[in-house]
Parts: sequence; structure tokens; C-alpha cells
Amino acid sequence: MTQVLLICIVGALLELDTTYAFQFTLSRGIIAGPLLSLITGDLMAGLQIGIFTELIFIDISPLGGLLPPSAAVCCTLSLALCSLGIPTYFAFFFGVIGSVLFSVCEVIVRKNRSQWLTRQEHIILKRPPYLSFVVVKALGISFTMTLAFLLFYSAVMGSSFARLLPFLPEKLHLASKFAYMAVPWIGLATLVSIFRLKTR
Amino acid sequence: MTRWMQFQLFWRSFFLQAGWNFAKYQNLGLAFVMTPFLRSVYKQDKNDLPSVLERYLESFNTQPMMASFCFGALARQEERMAQAKTLAEYRERLSEWNSLKRSLSITTASLGDRLFWGTLKPFTLLLALFIWLALNINFFEPTPQRGLSCLDVFGACIVVFFAFNAVALFVKWKGISLSYDAPNNGCFGLTQFDWNKTIYNTKLFGMLLALGLLLGGLYYFLHDLASFLGLQFITRAIIVLFFVSISLMTRDLRIPNMYLYIAAMLVFNIVYLF
Repeated sequence: MTQVLLICIVGALLELDTTYAFQFTLSRGIIAGPLLSLITGDLMAGLQIGIFTELIFIDISPLGGLLPPSAAVCCTLSLALCSLGIPTYFAFFFGVIGSVLFSVCEVIVRKNRSQWLTRQEHIILKRPPYLSFVVVKALGISFTMTLAFLLFYSAVMGSSFARLLPFLPEKLHLASKFAYMAVPWIGLATLVSIFRLKTR
Repeated sequence: MTRWMQFQLFWRSFFLQAGWNFAKYQNLGLAFVMTPFLRSVYKQDKNDLPSVLERYLESFNTQPMMASFCFGALARQEERMAQAKTLAEYRERLSEWNSLKRSLSITTASLGDRLFWGTLKPFTLLLALFIWLALNINFFEPTPQRGLSCLDVFGACIVVFFAFNAVALFVKWKGISLSYDAPNNGCFGLTQFDWNKTIYNTKLFGMLLALGLLLGGLYYFLHDLASFLGLQFITRAIIVLFFVSISLMTRDLRIPNMYLYIAAMLVFNIVYLF
């Protein structure tokens, strides 16, 4: 459980890099996956989940107000579930579902943040140095909410699926492996169409 | 603008999206980035700062790496406003400031999205995949190989990290001074780079790399199977052909990859069960 907690803390910090701070692309699947796998010790699982995450989300970009599922959240949840003993092909599926749910939660948070910020702006206009404090507070709130989501999802999904796992028929394992095997091919074909020359 | 001031804007620009919200987007971040500059411009009239900040807390949205062009141009225009001698001149410059903020944010967002999210991000992904395949790392199998060294795994990560950030940080740093020093007819320094040519050439190279990777991956996926007519070979070949063609078809329908994967997971499980 300590390992899951550690993965979630690092994952929540990496998630800040997606939008709120720095944007050094440390939250990209191909970087976040291997980084998080340093905690689990299974470098290959981290690398594979990282690559698959990046390939599966490569066709959705954060344009305008669009909020794509977070690669950092997907890697964190997948590796947290892996460390709870769930096979990679199931963990990745729940990671993808979790990151889609997270983006829905994020939309709600951002809508509510508008109201919170309107109240903060009144204070900023009276005391301009308060602005830096609001930025730190916004980052702190984002980190806390992401961490809470990651912990809740990993705990609920991890414990319930781990109990279900021994009763799953072998056929379901085969089918899930089969779908998991398709991910790199879906992604690689997408890359070809992403580079279609439309400019100039 | 002094180097120290440019550095302050550059450093604070990493928090541009700290308060991202659906009503005013990056308004909090813009005010945070510009505060040191506004303090230096209005150091004689500190009482003006709240009313100036109010303008910066209005709606603002652009691509975060290209935002530096907006910071430099807005800083220059703010200086001109502070130097206005009459109220009419001030109002005219204020109106210019407003239209500059709106138009430049749209232009930089469009360029930045195409350059960073549409081209550089997938390009660096390709680069990493090529390095891992060259290192003989088989990431196609559902049960991955074990016993990898940190250097094998993180070598490509470091290359990707530096390749992306070298461009991003260069644009972030240079954009501030270029747009601040640009002459009035200079399009705020944006014309210093041939963005379209850069994007076009990178996409062309990326297309070749992507096709190469697809074929290389196919070879890697199938080459060690004993027989070309064996069941395993045929199954794998069918998986690849089916998903590559489905993925190419769904591009035109704008169906995201993740839905394709979720659908595959559900369909396979139902088929296998019944």
C-alpha cells in the first residue's frame, strides 16, 4: 500500500506538469511511465504502459478549452493497479477509463474554479502582492484534488478487481490480452495520418 | 527591457496556466507573469497598479509556449501607455493594447498548437520509439521482456525531453525579446521564423519516420515466428492488418483511439465469452 501511495503522490506531482506548472512534458506517457516504474521496480511494464498511453492519446490535443484525458493519470493508475497484482492488460484498461473519468472531474473543477477566482480577484485588486499567494493556492488545490482522485480510484478499483480476479475465466484474460496487443498498431497507424501534409 | 526583467517574465511564464478556468482561461497566469514588469513601469504611481492589473485579469488564452510573444508585445504597449501625455492618447493606446492582446493571442495559439502539439510532440514520440526499437526493446508483446537497464529505458526519455524542451524554451525565451524589440510593422517578431516551412519539413520527415516505424514494427513483430503459414503468424498478421486499417478509417470519422481500444476490449471479451 505504501508503494501505491508513493506512486499516487509522484503521479499527482507529474500531473501538475500537464497544465498548471512548467509543462516540461514530464507528464507525457513515454516519460511518466518509466519514471513511475522506478517506484514499482518493473521498468519494462512502466515503459510499455507509457508508450501505449502516449499512442492511445496522441490524436487528442489540448486545443482551446478541450481537455484530453491525462497521460500522467493513466500511467499512474495503471502502474498503481499493477503493483496491487493486477495483470498489465487489465491495469491499462482501467487506467484509460480512470483518465477519462479524471478529465470529467477536471472539467467540473475548472468550472468551479472560475467562481473561486472571481472572489480572489477582488482581494488581488485591493492587495496586488496577494496574486502570488493565489497562484500557489491554485497549484496546491490542483495537487490535492488529483492525489485524492488517484488514491480513491486505485483503492476502489484495486481492491474490488483483485478480489474478482481469481474468479475470472481464462477466456477473459485472452480477450483482454488480444485487445491490449492492438494498442500499438492503432497508435502507429494514427501517427502516419497525423503527419499527413496539410500545411503550406 | 533588461535581461533580469526578461528572466523574471520567462520564469513566471511556467505558471501561466496555474489558474486555468473556463470563464477567463489564463487570466490569473497572465497577471502573475506581467506583475514584475508592471511594478517597474508604474513604480512612481503605485496607486495605478490595481487598475492596471484589472485589465490583465480579463480573459486571455493562448498556447503556453508561444505566449512569450504576447508578453513582450503587451509589455511594450504598456510602456507606451504609461508614457501617454494626454488622455486621448492614452485611450487610443489602450484600445490598441486591447486589440493587440486579443489578436496576438489567437495568432500565437494557432501557430503554437500546430507546431508543439500537432508536430513536435508526435515527432519526438517517433524518435523515442525508434531508439527503443534500435535497442531491441520489444514493447509490442502483452507479456513484456524483463531485465532492462535504466540506461536503455531512460536514454530515449532524455533525448525526447531535451529535444522538445530545447525548442520550447528557446521560443519562450526568444519570444519575449523579439516581440518587445520588434518595430511597429514587424508583426511582433513572429515573422523572424518561417513557421510554415518548419512545420512542413518536420511533418514530411515525420511522415517518413512514421511509415518506417510501422514497417519496422511489423518486421519486429513477425520476424522471429518459425513459419509464415503457422497459426501464430496468421493471427498476428490479421491483428495488425485489421487494427491498422480500422485506425486509418476512423481518422476520417474523428473517432479517438481510446474509444477504438475500449470498443475492442468490450467486443473481444463478449466474443470470447459467448
